[in-house]
Amino acid sequence: MALIIPVIFIAVFIFAVIKKVNVYDGFTEGISKAAKFTFALLPCLAAVFMMCALFEQSGLSDALTKLLSPVFGFLGIPPELTKLVLIKPFSGSGSLAYLNEVISTYGADSYIARCACVCFGSSETVFYISAVYFAGIKVKKLAMPVICVLVATFLSTIIACLVCRII
Amino acid sequence: MNVIFTVVCIASMIAIAVLSPDKLLSSLLGGAESSVKMAITLFCIYAVWMGLSELAERSGLSRGAAKLLKPVSRRIFKTDSKAANEYLAMNISCNLLGLGGAATPYAVKAIGELEKEKNSFAQKLLFVINATSIQILPTTVIALRASAGSMSAADIFLPSLICTAISTLAAVGLFLLGNKIWR
Repeated sequence: MALIIPVIFIAVFIFAVIKKVNVYDGFTEGISKAAKFTFALLPCLAAVFMMCALFEQSGLSDALTKLLSPVFGFLGIPPELTKLVLIKPFSGSGSLAYLNEVISTYGADSYIARCACVCFGSSETVFYISAVYFAGIKVKKLAMPVICVLVATFLSTIIACLVCRII
Repeated sequence: MNVIFTVVCIASMIAIAVLSPDKLLSSLLGGAESSVKMAITLFCIYAVWMGLSELAERSGLSRGAAKLLKPVSRRIFKTDSKAANEYLAMNISCNLLGLGGAATPYAVKAIGELEKEKNSFAQKLLFVINATSIQILPTTVIALRASAGSMSAADIFLPSLICTAISTLAAVGLFLLGNKIWR
């Protein structure tokens, strides 16, 4: 499995040489597109990160965690995972940090940690993706797709906790 | 996004103002700072993958891959744009391989192409598919568990596959249903 990435890179480079593509020019052009892309993204990122910082610092995220833990527990989601489930749609790096914490607290092979890993691995940072994908494009009525994704993600979280108990 | 942003910000600001007013500015600045760090990390990822994808594009490799997947992507996304189909095919294949960093630039390009033919259905569907994660092999998580001393780091593979399949199918189903109702 570790070989997938090296093989892809080597294959693309060699194929480009065979097709007589100027490898240096092409690669540099790609990077310059990446630079423009990142720069165009920065305003959206800054706004979303400021919102997340406010939410965290205000104590609202802790309050919400406390409020929702019993509800989650009823659905079979361990209360230790409430925060992970809440953070994941907003922040990939934030939830990764929290996942690390869960793994080191409960041990990599514990039920809680395995649950956390499955939840983390089978979901995405929904709000971040919507900001990136639709930056600079005037699509209206995004609420419906976002809600669909959140509902489905929540459903798969419940199932993840169930499946981890069996397998 | 607008509604969520406004509501969360105002609620948090009021809570901060009541509890510890001096924290407001520092948390905003902290958020901005971490966004710049994130942007640098993202630039690194995109520089590598967009450099590579430019090579794949110039050598005709992505056109070939797109040709293979085109019948599928055309039926699902209902688009006739050749360029859009190419990017869609690359996005899906990168996702399946677990190369999330490589998949994002293709998705953004595909959305740009779909914008030209005003195909907002395909744009939203692409978002729904990507936002529910269609990764077959959760490489990051497996690596994390292995480094934490797990006895069998890869044993979350099957549960992850089940959950990711369920979430994607459920989201696409809900989306198609919602699309019919609010037409």
